[in-house]
Amino acid sequence: MIKLYDFELSVNCYKQRLLMSILGVEFESVLVDFFPGSEHKGEEFKKVNPLGHIPVIDDGGFVLRDAHAILIYLAAKYDPTGNWYRTSDPELIGETAQWLLFAEGTTNTASAARLHDSLGYPFDIDECRSGAHKLFRVLEEHLWFREQEGLDWICSGDHPTIADIAIFPDVMLSEEGGVSSQPYPAIRRWTDRVKRIPGFVVMPGIFPAATA
Amino acid sequence: MSVTVLSGTKSGWHPIASSSDLVDRHVYQGQLFGYEFAVWRSDDGFVNIWENRCLHRGVRLSVGTNDGAELVCQYHGWRYANRTGGVTYIPAHPADANTHSSCARSYVAVERYGLIWTTLDSETSLADLEVLDVLDDGQAFPLRPIDLWVTSETTISHLERIEIGCPTLADSTKHSDLVLFVQPVDERRCVVRGVLSERPDDEAKIDVLRFYSAELGAVRDGIEKSAGVQAAPEPAAFKVHPAVEVSIGLSSATNRQAAVPVRVRRRWNTATDVVGFELEAVSGQLSTVKPGSHIDLHLPNALVRQYSVVNAPGELDAYTIGVKLDPTSTGGSSTLHGEVVVGDELLVSQPRNGFPLRRDAVHTLLIAGGIGLTPILAMAQALDHQGLPYELHHFVRSQNHIAFADRLEALGTNVTHHLALDPDETVTQLQRLISSYTDAKHLYVCGPAPMLTAARATASANEWPDHAVHFEYFANPTQQDQSSEFEIALARSAVTLPVRPGESILEVLKNAGISMASSCEQGVCGTCGVDLIEGEPDHQDVYLNDTEKRTGKRLMTCVSRAKSSRLVLDL
Amino acid sequence: MMQRCSDPVVLDMWHPVAATVELAAGVEYQTRLLGEPLSYAMSPQGLPQAWRGTQHQLPVMHAYGVLWTSLGSPPDELFEFDEFHEPDRHNVWAGSVGVHTSAPRAVENFLDMGHFPYVHTGYLGIEPHTEVKDYTVEIVNDGKEVLATGCEFFQPMGALNALGGMLMEYTYRVPHPYCSILYKSSPIDESRRDAIVIFGQAVDEENTRAHLVLSLLDDESNDRQIQAFQQLIFSQDKPILENQHPKRLPLDPAVETPIRSDKTSIAYRRWLSGLGLRYGVLPAVSDGR
Ligand code: FES
Ligand SMILES: [Fe+2]
Repeated sequence: MIKLYDFELSVNCYKQRLLMSILGVEFESVLVDFFPGSEHKGEEFKKVNPLGHIPVIDDGGFVLRDAHAILIYLAAKYDPTGNWYRTSDPELIGETAQWLLFAEGTTNTASAARLHDSLGYPFDIDECRSGAHKLFRVLEEHLWFREQEGLDWICSGDHPTIADIAIFPDVMLSEEGGVSSQPYPAIRRWTDRVKRIPGFVVMPGIFPAATA
Repeated sequence: MSVTVLSGTKSGWHPIASSSDLVDRHVYQGQLFGYEFAVWRSDDGFVNIWENRCLHRGVRLSVGTNDGAELVCQYHGWRYANRTGGVTYIPAHPADANTHSSCARSYVAVERYGLIWTTLDSETSLADLEVLDVLDDGQAFPLRPIDLWVTSETTISHLERIEIGCPTLADSTKHSDLVLFVQPVDERRCVVRGVLSERPDDEAKIDVLRFYSAELGAVRDGIEKSAGVQAAPEPAAFKVHPAVEVSIGLSSATNRQAAVPVRVRRRWNTATDVVGFELEAVSGQLSTVKPGSHIDLHLPNALVRQYSVVNAPGELDAYTIGVKLDPTSTGGSSTLHGEVVVGDELLVSQPRNGFPLRRDAVHTLLIAGGIGLTPILAMAQALDHQGLPYELHHFVRSQNHIAFADRLEALGTNVTHHLALDPDETVTQLQRLISSYTDAKHLYVCGPAPMLTAARATASANEWPDHAVHFEYFANPTQQDQSSEFEIALARSAVTLPVRPGESILEVLKNAGISMASSCEQGVCGTCGVDLIEGEPDHQDVYLNDTEKRTGKRLMTCVSRAKSSRLVLDL
Repeated sequence: MMQRCSDPVVLDMWHPVAATVELAAGVEYQTRLLGEPLSYAMSPQGLPQAWRGTQHQLPVMHAYGVLWTSLGSPPDELFEFDEFHEPDRHNVWAGSVGVHTSAPRAVENFLDMGHFPYVHTGYLGIEPHTEVKDYTVEIVNDGKEVLATGCEFFQPMGALNALGGMLMEYTYRVPHPYCSILYKSSPIDESRRDAIVIFGQAVDEENTRAHLVLSLLDDESNDRQIQAFQQLIFSQDKPILENQHPKRLPLDPAVETPIRSDKTSIAYRRWLSGLGLRYGVLPAVSDGR
């Protein structure tokens, strides 16, 4: 079974749990005492990931780190429909990669602001927040036009992809870092849609949506 | 092409959303002059704009869920009805008939030019909104709203000076005029909502939208730059409306016993000898109704009859009742059947709930006989809507005697009709249905007396505890004892009023036209307290502490009563 | 929110600023309390220190695993929490978490059972078991503490299972305006109770750092799980707290609509009013008495 080095409150770990739940992949969660123990910075954990961060997966001996890399691997390997990461379509691969990089941005701004405010991480909070708003403006416009075209998801096509999973929790929890999502109604509607994907699970701080 | 820049005054009309924002049971978070709204469209198309704050503990309603008929608060699951904002269910107290008269603070919603409009001032008339001859509601084409990190004043002064281009790509909008509505969000932010006077052809639609999104986006960047704004401003503090009696429409009547006029909107034969009536408000909004409630209907011949309301959750455009012709009628059902037609006006009381539905059952068994179906059907619709497990057994003479067949059909396999059973067969069937009791099951029965008796006997034979068996009008559902009778003397106004069993002091005072502040009406919040000059109170509240109760200097008019025959109040 | 605190009641209280296990000896740390920056440290000799600016020494106390200080003249003693010292218990720090709300809002949420099925779905409660049964609230200890006893609520056994479950019994203490202790029957010894504590640091009127401490009876092998569980529970409460408005706790009963099950919260608000506390609350214009 896949082992996930996991911490319940980490958005990046949640992304993996969410995708695996949607794909119906069983996994075993290995709790890492990220907070307050900082176990991921300890010598023991560095054997698993010398960069000292989570998540990491161990799939029968194949060890992989970095949240968005793991999403690619899991979708490519465990989604028989190929919809979540469509390797057969070069444009879609490109788009997905583009939005995964965007997700690095939301993680480093919105989610970093959350780490600052709740766990006291020494980040420049003003920079994190204003960076998040700039990205959210771009995402808002993008998703607003998607809706106008009758499309629901971040990448082209009528099926969600790992890009939706990668950006979703950074946006959902942004208020905890003092980044309000009120000016971004199209983003807020898209988060409702993500919550309605069959197999969706919550993480602490995210509540389920009503059925549409 | 002309460009018009418009923005309302503090008490004027403002757009706060696009119609297309309110889709898929979304709860939209709107803001105007720092006041926040939860905006949601119910499945019947009604747009609700409420203060974004749960009455209970102040949580934003926009983090709650829209289930199509009600808005559910995320914190303790309070349910608020479509149209009225009335609280329909408080999960922490499932047995309460719900004495709450509170409603979420509502704002008027108007849908026009593809935008949702509201005003902070309920006195502002709708006429003030109809000033735009450049825009025609059917043709108007809303653009993507653009949010700005600067004030509406700054934005307006810039907009008035700039040029906005015109798309070359869409012939159909070449002559279109552009109106830019500037919505003040709070002291630091605004939103520009553009509307074109002409709808482009479908193929050009997206291109036109993209063109203006880019154009207005560039304008935004320019304004922010010249205002020296590089980052999103901190959101201003949440503004809370001052605490006032919050209510809308008919429910604003301080006298909750008062009858209100309704008009017969529809009348139809729903089953043999049963006529259905839909009663809509003559003006304003009907009050919230909960499953199991009834209304008193004042008939043209001055008789008053009670009818259960069949309505499903969130269905508050009209009260639906079913009236069975009673062959021994003394003027109630015969008048309704014989005389009352569509367009007639009647008076109804506020809905009252003597048959409240708990929603904390692991399984709910609903049993109805004949026209006893009406309250039971309302309950079934509520349970069905919330996805709670239940079954409805309907005992009825024949297929043709099934009232509200369309509503029953929508409930699918949860409903079983038992047709044409004789009394013995009915008892046997009841014994089969009301079998063994397990924890957290609840039984509700409404029907003719022999059936009630049989159901009750069966339940007790099978060891159903009393608290799990519910009949209409079975008991006062709250824990207060309202049976005493006494009088109150108002020392400062030299008035004496009788308080009869079932009435609260608060109701008596309000009925007498005395303005009283009240909030929870359950004896917990302390709002309706008055000083007591003389007499022995029967407190029944949980607000005062034991010492205060012993000294007897103050009481809560919503639940407290008298042990003595008279109380003298400092009013 | 940089305004200085002028509330004498709050200035003279002890305030938690850090869990002491977190402190490396001789290292200086910064935090904010009542809107003011301050520094603290644990000396190499194990003595706590706190100061304002570069010089001004503040009173300090090391109690219940936490470093306490005050910006006024605090009482000699802190409230009692005897379980903490019972020899067969172990005390665990579950983290200190920043929340965008006032300390009284955070405490009031801690005292509330009605939200279990909606906020802690599958963990502390589950629909349809939503009823809050009557319980007892009193002001005890010479008016120094709010105590709620006999509080019962249905807790599911496994996550998202409405059928298996049991009634849990809770006792709540509020021995300090910004702190609360919850007792819950211990899984290993029914006659005794685990304690879960929130020590609220009022960073300013609308921001709080919640120091979470557990005092547990079972063996240490479960500590990690229990710690993780407590963090999870608090993280579920967090978005609720941050979406509550006004952020300061309104003491005027007409601003919000309590119900019978809010007895503890009503008692807490009235108790705060009675103490004359103003920081982090919206005082009632008149208390109705
Ligand atoms: S705050 Fe909304 S239900 Fe309690
Ligand atoms: Fe909680």
